[in-house]
Amino acid sequence: MTQETTTQTSGTPGGWYRYGVMFLYLEMFIAIAVSAYSLYMAFTGKGGFPGKH
Amino acid sequence: MKTHKVEQLVIATVGFFWCFLMWFSTAAFSPSIAAHYHLNIAELGLLASSAIWMAPIGRIIAGWAADRFGAPRTFAIILAGCGLVSIASAFTSSYEVLFIERVIVAIAGVSFVVGIQHVAQWFDASEIGTAEGLYAGTGNVGAGVGALVLPRLFGLDYQGAFLWLGVIALALAAWYLWRGEAARHETARHTARQSSDLRGTVFVWTRYIAIALMLAYAMSFGLEIAMNAWLPGYFSRGFHEAILALGFSSVVGVQIAAGTFAAVQSFSASLFRPFAGFMSDVFQRRGWTPMPFIAKTLPYAPRLHWLAIALILITLSMIALTIAGLAGSLPLSVLVLVLFGVFVSFGPGGTFALVPLLFPDRPGVAAGFIGGVSTAGGIVYPLIFAHSGNIHMGYLYAAVTMLIPFVLFYFWAARYERHPEEHGLFELPPPAAETEKA
Repeated sequence: MTQETTTQTSGTPGGWYRYGVMFLYLEMFIAIAVSAYSLYMAFTGKGGFPGKH
Repeated sequence: MKTHKVEQLVIATVGFFWCFLMWFSTAAFSPSIAAHYHLNIAELGLLASSAIWMAPIGRIIAGWAADRFGAPRTFAIILAGCGLVSIASAFTSSYEVLFIERVIVAIAGVSFVVGIQHVAQWFDASEIGTAEGLYAGTGNVGAGVGALVLPRLFGLDYQGAFLWLGVIALALAAWYLWRGEAARHETARHTARQSSDLRGTVFVWTRYIAIALMLAYAMSFGLEIAMNAWLPGYFSRGFHEAILALGFSSVVGVQIAAGTFAAVQSFSASLFRPFAGFMSDVFQRRGWTPMPFIAKTLPYAPRLHWLAIALILITLSMIALTIAGLAGSLPLSVLVLVLFGVFVSFGPGGTFALVPLLFPDRPGVAAGFIGGVSTAGGIVYPLIFAHSGNIHMGYLYAAVTMLIPFVLFYFWAARYERHPEEHGLFELPPPAAETEKA
């Protein structure tokens, strides 16, 4: 089966890499933001993310 | 067909995300299923446990099948099979039949190792940590998204949710077959196919380093899924008075507060996992080998050191959880739990940045063994937690009886400066291709 790809040398990450790293930073930001918000809600007695009690 | 490795990564990640969504969709609707069929507590517990049953043996078979038949075919069969049964379960009126169908749908959880094999067949050694981390971490979020979104989207209508989850799974199966390619190079595909025999499987299962990675995954991902099940009950019982003092007076309120504290661990563990793979790449590029005893000259030695650091941090945070609990401090316990969630993500991210490099000719078989057997941790840890007398002491008991021995075994297995995969329970000669690549 014929395939055409952009191949890199094994020593350096490809061009996609910086976008991949940006995406993982976004995921970390979401984790921190959701954790901070839900803990704020819980410790102030307002409920958990995203519901109420 | 023209394709790109990023497209293959996206296909695998979306497929895995959906499989995890289906895997935990039963749990998301267990209250409405229990109300519909008038289930008692024991039956509800049995229903909740059904998600884990197929994982250990299923992942072993799925990893082998990915090497043998290619990831696209294997993944498409899992998606289509689970999707069809999910659709069938939407029209079921007997609880016994529904239970069996949901156990079959839970097979979707085995897809993890198929995607690991797929990504490993496409990405270079220098970027494998980030690629595998993005795949596994983003896909893992499917479990949390299911718990948060599905009940809000469908309310009590679990039949409608199961129907749509199944229909979209069928569409994803067709997409995977249409655009998925098993490997970047035909030689890699051919090697994996040829290596998926019984001798190759026995070789992987008996290597000390494979056993060490399996235990590393058991003390990270295995512990993560165990904590998902354990933590809501832990907070509601261990910190009942403190939660009441926050203003959560009703049973539902205590449940929401305890669930929120528990969710922090699950969320962090999933979303920090790509970062853990990225850190493995950083260690590799910069040649960092700070740990004593562990090999320093192997081509992937820095990645071994990063995983060792992760395992030590997980163990320390487990001990800290006991200390915070015994101190009776809810804020301190939650703070330690946040750190635990981050550290526990380092283990899976670090493990699967190594597996394809250690066993390049049989990534599916290796991923199936390491990612499959280790899920039994999800059953074992809660048993230790529940039988420790003081509810806060369970973490310390688990750390002393399981985690510390696992870490010591990892240090011992990773000390070989030349081809750690040569060393195992039986003196099997390593396949020539693996020796050359290692």
